[in-house]
Amino acid sequence: MSKRLKLTEEGKDYAKRGLPELNLVEALKQGPISLSRARELVDNLDIALQWGKKRNWIRMDGGLIYLISPPDVVPEQEALIRASKGETMDEGVARILIQRNLIEVESSFVEELKHLEGKTVSRLTPELMSTGLWRNVKLRPYDVKILGTKVHPSKRQPFDHFLSELRQRLVELGFVEMKGPTIETEFWNYDALYQPQGHPARDWLSTFYLKGAGLGDLPSIAGNVKKAHEHGVSGSTGWGYKWDPMRARRLMPRAQGTALSARTLAKGPLIPGKYFAIARCYRPDVIDAFHGIEFVQVEGIVVDESLTFRNLLGILEMFAREIARANEIKFIPDYYPFTEPSVQMSAKHPAMGWIEFGGAGIFREELTKPLNVDVPVIAWGLGVDRLAMFKLGIEDIRDLFSRDLDWMRRKAVV
Amino acid sequence: MPSLEVSLRDMERLIGRTLSPDELRHLVGLAKCDVDSIVGDSVKLEAKDTNRPDLWSAEGIAREIRFRVKKLGLPKYKVSRSKVEVIVDKSVKGVRPFTACAVVTNLHLDEAALSQMIQLQEKVASNYGGGRRDIAIGVYDLDKMKPPINYTTVDPDGVRFVPLDFEEELTPREILEKHPKGKEFGHLLAGVSRYPIFIDSAGEVMSVPPIINSNFSGKVTENTRNAFIECSGFDLGRLSVALNVVTTALAERGAEIGAVKVRYADRAIVTPDFKPGRASVDLVHFGRISDLTLSPSKACDLLRRSGYSVIRRRKDKVEVLYPAYRHDVMHERDLMEDMLISYGYDKIRPQPLRLPTVGMSSRIERFSSLLCELMIGLGFQQVMSYTLTNKVELFAKMKLKEEPVIELENPVSSSWDVFRNWMLPCIVDFLSSNAHVDYPQNVFEIGDVVVPDQTKETRAMDRRKLACARASAEVGYQDIASVLDAFLSSLGCQYELRTGSHPSFIEGRVADVILKGADLGVVGEVSPEVLEAWDIEVPVSAFEIDVSSLYDILPLENLD
Repeated sequence: MSKRLKLTEEGKDYAKRGLPELNLVEALKQGPISLSRARELVDNLDIALQWGKKRNWIRMDGGLIYLISPPDVVPEQEALIRASKGETMDEGVARILIQRNLIEVESSFVEELKHLEGKTVSRLTPELMSTGLWRNVKLRPYDVKILGTKVHPSKRQPFDHFLSELRQRLVELGFVEMKGPTIETEFWNYDALYQPQGHPARDWLSTFYLKGAGLGDLPSIAGNVKKAHEHGVSGSTGWGYKWDPMRARRLMPRAQGTALSARTLAKGPLIPGKYFAIARCYRPDVIDAFHGIEFVQVEGIVVDESLTFRNLLGILEMFAREIARANEIKFIPDYYPFTEPSVQMSAKHPAMGWIEFGGAGIFREELTKPLNVDVPVIAWGLGVDRLAMFKLGIEDIRDLFSRDLDWMRRKAVV
Repeated sequence: MPSLEVSLRDMERLIGRTLSPDELRHLVGLAKCDVDSIVGDSVKLEAKDTNRPDLWSAEGIAREIRFRVKKLGLPKYKVSRSKVEVIVDKSVKGVRPFTACAVVTNLHLDEAALSQMIQLQEKVASNYGGGRRDIAIGVYDLDKMKPPINYTTVDPDGVRFVPLDFEEELTPREILEKHPKGKEFGHLLAGVSRYPIFIDSAGEVMSVPPIINSNFSGKVTENTRNAFIECSGFDLGRLSVALNVVTTALAERGAEIGAVKVRYADRAIVTPDFKPGRASVDLVHFGRISDLTLSPSKACDLLRRSGYSVIRRRKDKVEVLYPAYRHDVMHERDLMEDMLISYGYDKIRPQPLRLPTVGMSSRIERFSSLLCELMIGLGFQQVMSYTLTNKVELFAKMKLKEEPVIELENPVSSSWDVFRNWMLPCIVDFLSSNAHVDYPQNVFEIGDVVVPDQTKETRAMDRRKLACARASAEVGYQDIASVLDAFLSSLGCQYELRTGSHPSFIEGRVADVILKGADLGVVGEVSPEVLEAWDIEVPVSAFEIDVSSLYDILPLENLD
């Protein structure tokens, strides 16, 4: 298009002597001047003022004109000079110059397009727009069912999206998010949770250990935990074995999100306080459609003087309603080494039917006392994998971490 | 969690009535078991309480259900004195020092009962006994043995006998080499010069614990009328619990239990010992935890319905006896849970929580979520990978020299045996899995990597990273650098690109990304050598930046 542009008389003048607004800027470089003085110095002052203000180069105040900031490069001026030499220019700049009537479309070009008048054309082109000829042509109707090149949307990863919404929901329900290290000491993962060192969950087949990673540090409350394990605290008999601090210092990838709850309690939680974590956890297992060695646990704690077993059921009921959208629930006795009493909850999802959806319990005093917490603490966990798999429409748990780009592109977001 | 299989008809017989599937589910729930499946007569159960071996058999589950339903109090088992003695040689001391034994007479085992006995013995030894290390259990046909019995040690080649389910005589050493149980459990005798052995007065070998029984006396069938049971291991307290669990399960079917005198070098003990344990619960504490208003007598009923006997009540404090096959009673909370189970979880009304708390997601997650939004806006699909991977993918296929990483000592697969210490390999792996999918492919991932750091409490540190790649026939360095620019500019970063050098990228087409003097990451065109290693046949340009550094350097006031 640019080749078919030519300068108007005004355009030719500005190409030679400069745009009025630039001449004004030049005049202002010595300091502010009055309007009347400016009229002496600059031709076409009204145009100069209009564009100078529009570009935010100058301002007027009490009859004086001030320079705000002089421009570095002025594409319009350059374009005018280029046009005078018959060179091309940027389309955006050309549009402005046409608007300012400094250049015009060569009439021969308009002539060239004239033959289209009254005809049916397939594409609406910038040329048709700039010459105004679009008024005199007919645009051919398209088959609206034919699409262009396939467009692939970019979206959130489905499982991460699910987890983000869950995070948002838990925040709305008043929970504060906990974070903690992927690599833990056995102390935080087990000992602080009152799981004895001989517990089957801590053996080679159920816990990953690290190669040559050395030993981690123990916190100052380790002595309390030792006492709880060996002889018991607050009326407990304890496990009655010799607690080994070296064992507690061993390092492992976090095997349960509850490690984060232990850390939160030891730091001194808010009371009342509600906490949650969405934690990657690691355990040896068979790797198949239902099991993975790396998985996400969603769990947390509630801390308050007033908590009772009925609140524990209340929390689970809330999760069933607010997260699984279940209206029917069942509570069954359960076992966790660190809670007593413990409950398992089954929830009836409107479409999935009964699912084991969560578990909860009141932390044993042998756990809370050594961490210097003297009020009841409810620990809860949600089994979100099945819910996520249902929402994502997948049957293999490994597809939560899908490697299938095509599936993700096609996957509906609702 | 031990998985159990029981016969439905046998359960019904032990509980005393027929059961619908729903009733069965409910009742075994009272004994902390989940029903996995019911197929014909076979019921598969998951025993959830790993601390209650007494609930790992049909007999134990049925016993628990009977308490809950019928308020029976402490179960009483009669123990008569048998004439059987066990003489413990002092040589077992460094090998497997203790045993607790019993005699069980008047056995009438049908198929279901026999399979329960075998299953219980296995589950107790594996789940409560540390895979037979701490507790091994042997059951023998008493009528084929000549007491007294010797528990002693023997040279690994010093004796020959036919092990269970074999026909040829083997020495203990040969058993460890040839018998399936020997191969499975032989490691438990590693480094021991003499093997433990039970041998009767006729010189018949009964067993080599914790490996295998003899095929002669160590085989129990439906025809066995009288049995000898031994538990061997390292902690007499735990052995005693295991013995009590196994013998009382048989007593539940009408068998009679006989005590055995076990003579150690320095003392003699009589086992099994059914002396109940003592515990107490404060009813005020119970009221506070349960939020139930119960009269003291109702509360005591709940204890009786949990298999406890109430021996004394002084004001709010109730003292009870609990059965000798339990070892999980440590604190009054344990009693409280039993009371609540007996009351019925389904009868307790949930109380909504009304605490004035304010929710808040973690700051780094909020930041990551912003970055994620930016990347999607730039036209990139988010992906998510495992943080576990392997050195081949992290280093070899990226043409990178190996770096220190966090490694699993006991991986289940060599594909997942180290933690990623950078993110790009996961992204390249993703592209590699999608070679057949429409290009251009624009993908990114935000997530954690783990790097060793001796200064940290756990000798490792999580770093949050963002890696991003464009794969298409037309894409080159500038195409990714402009994405990085749009990304960092949107964060208000005044960053700098410096010519870099990185083995995963083409020399001369890779830059270090510098922010306020700190190394933020790398951007470049992935080297064809790397692409070839991953079977990728289109050019890939990529960047990886350290989100944790960005998070630390940027002011981010608007996140709060």
